[in-house]
Amino acid sequence: MISQFFVMSQRGDNIVFRDYRGDVQKGSAEIFFRKVKFWKEDGQEEAPPVFNADGVNYFHVKVVGLLFVATTRVNLSPSLVLELLQRIARVIKDYLGVLNEDSLRKNFVLVYELLDEVIDFGYVQSTSTEVLKSYVFNEPIVIDATRLQPLGPASIFMQGTKRMPGTAVTKSVVANEPGGRKREEIFVDIIEKISVTFSSSGYILTSEIDGTIQMKSYLTGNPEIRIALNEDLGIGKGGRSIYDYRSSSGSGAVVLDDCNFHESVRLDSFDTDRTLSLIPPDGEFPVMNYRMTQEFKPPFRINTLIEEAGPLKAEVIIKVSAEFSSSITANTIVVEMPLPKYTTRVSFGLEPGAAGQRTDFKEATKRLEWGLKKIVGGSEHTLRAKLTFSQETHGNITKESGPVNMTFTIPMYNASKLQVKYLQIAKKSSTYNPYRWVRYVTQANSYVARI
Amino acid sequence: MAPPAQSQRTQSPSQPSGKGEVSDLKTQLRQLAGSRAPGVDDSKRELFKKVISYMTIGIDVSSVFGEMVMCSVTPDIVLKKMCYLYVGNYAKVNPDLALLTINFLQRDCKDQDPMIRGLALRSLCSLRVANLVEYLVGPLGLGLKDSNSYVRTVAVIGVLKLYHISASTCIDEEFPLTLKHLMLNDPEAQVVANCLTALQEIWSAEASNSEDASREREALISKPVIYYFLNRMRVFSEWAQCIVLELVGKYVPSDNNEIFDIMNLLEDRLQHANGAVVLATIKVFLHLTLSMNDVHQQVYERIKAPLLTLVSSGSPEQSYAVLSHLHLLVMRAPFIFASDYKHFYCQYNEPSYVKKLKLEMLTAVANESNTYEIVTELCEYAANVDIPIARESIRAVGKIALQQYDVNAIVDRLLQFLEMEKDYVTAEALVLVKDLLRKYPQWSHDCIAVVGGISSNNVQEPKAKAALIWMLGEYSQEMHDAPYILESLIENWDDEHSAEVRLHLLTAVMKCFFKRAPETQKALGAALSAGLADFHQDVHDRALFYYRLLQYNASVAESVVNPPKQAVSVFADTQSSEIKDRIFDEFNSLSVVYQKPSYMFTDKEHRGPFEFSDELGNLSIGAEAAENVAPALMVEANDKDLLLSTSEEEEIKGPAYNGSAYSAPLYDASSPSVSSLSTQSELAISNPISAGKCFSIYLCH
Repeated sequence: MISQFFVMSQRGDNIVFRDYRGDVQKGSAEIFFRKVKFWKEDGQEEAPPVFNADGVNYFHVKVVGLLFVATTRVNLSPSLVLELLQRIARVIKDYLGVLNEDSLRKNFVLVYELLDEVIDFGYVQSTSTEVLKSYVFNEPIVIDATRLQPLGPASIFMQGTKRMPGTAVTKSVVANEPGGRKREEIFVDIIEKISVTFSSSGYILTSEIDGTIQMKSYLTGNPEIRIALNEDLGIGKGGRSIYDYRSSSGSGAVVLDDCNFHESVRLDSFDTDRTLSLIPPDGEFPVMNYRMTQEFKPPFRINTLIEEAGPLKAEVIIKVSAEFSSSITANTIVVEMPLPKYTTRVSFGLEPGAAGQRTDFKEATKRLEWGLKKIVGGSEHTLRAKLTFSQETHGNITKESGPVNMTFTIPMYNASKLQVKYLQIAKKSSTYNPYRWVRYVTQANSYVARI
Repeated sequence: MAPPAQSQRTQSPSQPSGKGEVSDLKTQLRQLAGSRAPGVDDSKRELFKKVISYMTIGIDVSSVFGEMVMCSVTPDIVLKKMCYLYVGNYAKVNPDLALLTINFLQRDCKDQDPMIRGLALRSLCSLRVANLVEYLVGPLGLGLKDSNSYVRTVAVIGVLKLYHISASTCIDEEFPLTLKHLMLNDPEAQVVANCLTALQEIWSAEASNSEDASREREALISKPVIYYFLNRMRVFSEWAQCIVLELVGKYVPSDNNEIFDIMNLLEDRLQHANGAVVLATIKVFLHLTLSMNDVHQQVYERIKAPLLTLVSSGSPEQSYAVLSHLHLLVMRAPFIFASDYKHFYCQYNEPSYVKKLKLEMLTAVANESNTYEIVTELCEYAANVDIPIARESIRAVGKIALQQYDVNAIVDRLLQFLEMEKDYVTAEALVLVKDLLRKYPQWSHDCIAVVGGISSNNVQEPKAKAALIWMLGEYSQEMHDAPYILESLIENWDDEHSAEVRLHLLTAVMKCFFKRAPETQKALGAALSAGLADFHQDVHDRALFYYRLLQYNASVAESVVNPPKQAVSVFADTQSSEIKDRIFDEFNSLSVVYQKPSYMFTDKEHRGPFEFSDELGNLSIGAEAAENVAPALMVEANDKDLLLSTSEEEEIKGPAYNGSAYSAPLYDASSPSVSSLSTQSELAISNPISAGKCFSIYLCH
C-alpha cells in the first residue's frame, strides 16, 4: 500500500498532498523534489521513475508538466503504483476536462474528494470515473480550454481538421454544459506512434507501430457499443521471427504482433468477425493497445548529404519527402540533427518561397533544428546549412554528427492500416442518434535516419 | 497531510504569511457557525476551502479546529467532506480537540444516507488517536453489518486502521474473525478484496507472536480459499485482481493438473491493458512452473509478446517498470530472447535509465547469429551525442567480446574506437582492450600496435590511464618506447592526482625494469623515491614493499611482479546467483527495479503484506539471506583491488532453475481449512475444459 500521494508543480510546491498511512515523514515532498532536481550533478541523467531514499520508496510520473508522486516503505509492485498514478491523473482529467496546474489549483477540494475515494489507508478502492461519480459531490470549476496551450494526445486533433469540435475532448465528464443538456457523443481515436530507423543508405533497419484505440464516451445510459476492425486482421506471428519482413507484405492483411484490451471489452466474437463489444464506462480509456512490426510504408524519407568545403567549413543538405497522399497534411514537423562539437556558426538556406518554416542552431547542444508548420503529401522540402568549424575536421564530420531525428503529427492517417469499420451503438430509440467521431492520427515516436 | 516545507512558504508569492489570515478565518467561521441564514453553506464552503488550501501548502491551521467542528453541523455533504479531511489531518496532533469531533462523527455514523455513514466511519477510524479507541468499536461493528456495501467497504479498512491504533482492541473484539466471514460470504467484490488485504496485513503482523494468527495466515493460501478467489476473478476490479493474483502466487498446487487448471484460467489476464495485472499473472505462471523446465520455458515464450506490448504502450514510466522485469527475464534466459534483439535497440528520445537497461539486454542476448548486428548497432551509439550512453555502449561491445562470440570482428571495432579521437571513447576503449588482453592474450600483437600509437597525454581519465599503464608494463617488451613513456609519466608524479594511477605506475615500472633493465633503471629509482614520499598510504606502502623486495633479492622480486600469467576465463560476477534467485522470487516488486533483494532496502516490518513466503517454506533461503550479503561485499572489495578490477557479468548459461532454492511449503491437508467452504463444488476451478485438454491447450501456445 502507498503511504502518501501528492501532486507537485515544476517549481516544487504541493498542489495537493494526502497522507494515508502516516509512516513516512512529513518532509518527504521536499526530499523527493531535491532528489529529482539534482539526480546527477552534471544534470545529464534524469531521475528514474522509482527510487529509494532512506528507506522510503518514491514513485513518480510526469503528466502535463506536473509530478504525480506516491511514497511507501513497503516493497510494492512498481507497475501497480505507476499505473495507479497515471490512472489518478486520468480520473482527475475526466472530472476537470482539462488537466493542468491551473485547473488543479482551482479544484483542489474536488481532487481531495476524489483521492479519498480512490485510495483508503493506502489501498486502491476504485479508479473508475463511472463508479466514483456516485461518491463525489463537488462540482468541477471548468476552466476555459480555448485559452490554453493544447496539451496531451487529444489536442493533436484540434489542428487542421475543421470537422472536429474544438473543445469536445476537453469537456468534463460530469460537469453540465452551459446550454443545460449534455451533447450525446462518443469519440474513438486511433492513435499510432511509429518508430523507424533508416540506415545511412536508406534501408529500414527497424520499424514498429505502437497503437492505441482510445475511447471517450459522453453517452448517457451506457449503451452497448460494437466496434468492428479489419476482417482480415491477424494477431500473433506464431513461431516465426518477429522481424520477418517478407511475411504477408503485399497481401494487404494487417498483422499485429500482439495486443491487449481494456477490462470492459468482451471478445466473444473477436475471433470470428473481429468485433469488440463493450459498455463504455465514463471517461477516457484505451479500448485496445497493439504493437506491429510488420513492414509498412514510412510516411517520410530523409536524405542527408554532408559535403566538406575546405578545412573549416562544410555544407549539410537535408531533404525530406512526404510519401503519402496529397489529400493529407502533416503538421508540427521538427527535424533535428546534432552537429560536430566544434561547430561555431551555421547559416541556413531555405528553398525559394518557403513559408511556415524556421531554422535554428542550438549553440549549447550543438544541434540544428528545422521546423515546418506543415507538409502536404507528395511534396519535398530541402534545407541547406553551411557550417563553420573552430578546428580542422580530419574528414570525420559524419562520425561526429547525426543521426537526423524527426518528429511530426499526421492527422487522418494511420500507418498500420488498422481500421474501425463501423461503430455501432445499441439503439435506445429510433430518434437516438448520437454523434460518433472516429479519428486517426499518426505521430513519430523515434524517427531516425543515420548518416 | 500538511507538509511543513518551510521553503515552499517562501517560494510562492501568492501565499499568505500565516497568522493574520488564520485568525481572520477563525472569526469568520465563528460568525457563520450558528447562522441559519440562506446561503450560509456557500460562504462556509468558501471558508473551508481556504482552510484546506492553507493546510495543503503547510500553514498550521489547527487553531480553527473548534470553529470547524461547530460549522460542520450541516446536511451539506461537500462541507462535511471538507471538515472530515481537516479533522483527519489535525486529530493526531490535537488529541484533546479530536474528542470534540467524536460526537458528531458518531451521530453521522447512524445517518440515513449511507454515503454519510460511510464517510463518517472512515473519518472516525482515521483519527489515529489511541485514547479514542473505545468510541470506534461500536460504529465499526455496525458498519461491518451495514446493509450498504459502501459502508461495509469502508468498515473493513476501518478494522485495519483500528488494528494500527490498538492491535489488542482489534483482536479482542474479534474483528479479524468477522472479516474472515465477510471475505468468504459478502456479495460485494470490493468488500471481499478489502477483507483479504486487511487480513493479510493483520495476520502477518500477528504471526510472530501468535500461533493462531500464523495458522490463519496459512489458511489464506489453502486450497479452498484460493479456489474461492480464482473462481470469482472476473468480478474483482483490476486492482483487487492484483491482490488476489499475489495471493495465488503463494499457493502450492498438489499436482500438475491443478497447475494447468490455474494457468488456463488465468491465461486471458495476460491480455489485460493494466501492466500490474499482467505482471502479477506472469509471477503466478513463473512460480507455478518452476519445477517443470519445459513448461517454464513455454511460459517465457508465452509472456514475451504481452511484455513487449506493455513496454511500448503507456507512459515512459510504466514502460520502465515493465522493462525492468523483462530485463530480469532476459538475464535469466537470454537464449529465449535471442531472436528479439531488435526490440532492445535504443530509441532516439528514450531516457537514459531505459537505454541502460536495453544495452544490458543487448549484451546478454548476443550469440553467434546476432552478434554482428548487435555490435554494429552498438557502434552507432558509441558515436552518439549522449555521452553516458556512448560510454555504456562501448562497454557493452567489450562485454560481448568477452562472451567469446565473433571476437575477431569485435576487436577490430574496438581498435577503431581507439582511433576515433574522442577522449571518452578512447578512455572506455582502453579499459576494454586491457580486459580483452587478460582474457585473450593471443590478441596482444594487434592491440599493442594500436595502443602504442596513443599519446598518454590524451588520456586523462584515471581508469583509462591505469589501463594504459598496465599495458605499458605488461607488454613493455613489445612496445618500443614503453620505458620512456613510463619515465615521462613518472616525471609528472606530483601532478597525478589519482592514487590508482600512481599504484599502477609503480607496478608497471617494476615490470618494465625486469624486462628492459638498462632503459628503466633511472625511471624505477625516480618512481620508488617519489612513491616513498607519497602522502597516500597505499602508494607509500607499495613503494616501500618493492624497494625492500628489490633490496632483499631481485629474482624473488621478479617472480612477485612478473609471474607467468594465466588468461582469465570468466570475470567475477557482480551478483551471486543466490541474490539473483532471491530477486526472481520477488518478481513484480521493487526488488526487480532496484536489482536488489528486498532485505537490502527495506526493514523487516515493511517488506509488504504479501511477504510471508519467508517463514512458510523458504526457510532455507531466509537463512542464507544474511550470508548473501557477504559475497556481494567481497566482490565490491575486489573491485578496488589492483588489476583484478573488472566486474564483468558472468556469462549466464541458461535460466538458473535452482530447484532447491524454491523448496515449496507442503500443502498440509490437515491444516485448518475454512470449514464453511469445503464443499466439493468450491474445490474445483469452474473451467468447462477438462484437465487433459487444458494441458494441451496450454502447450500449444
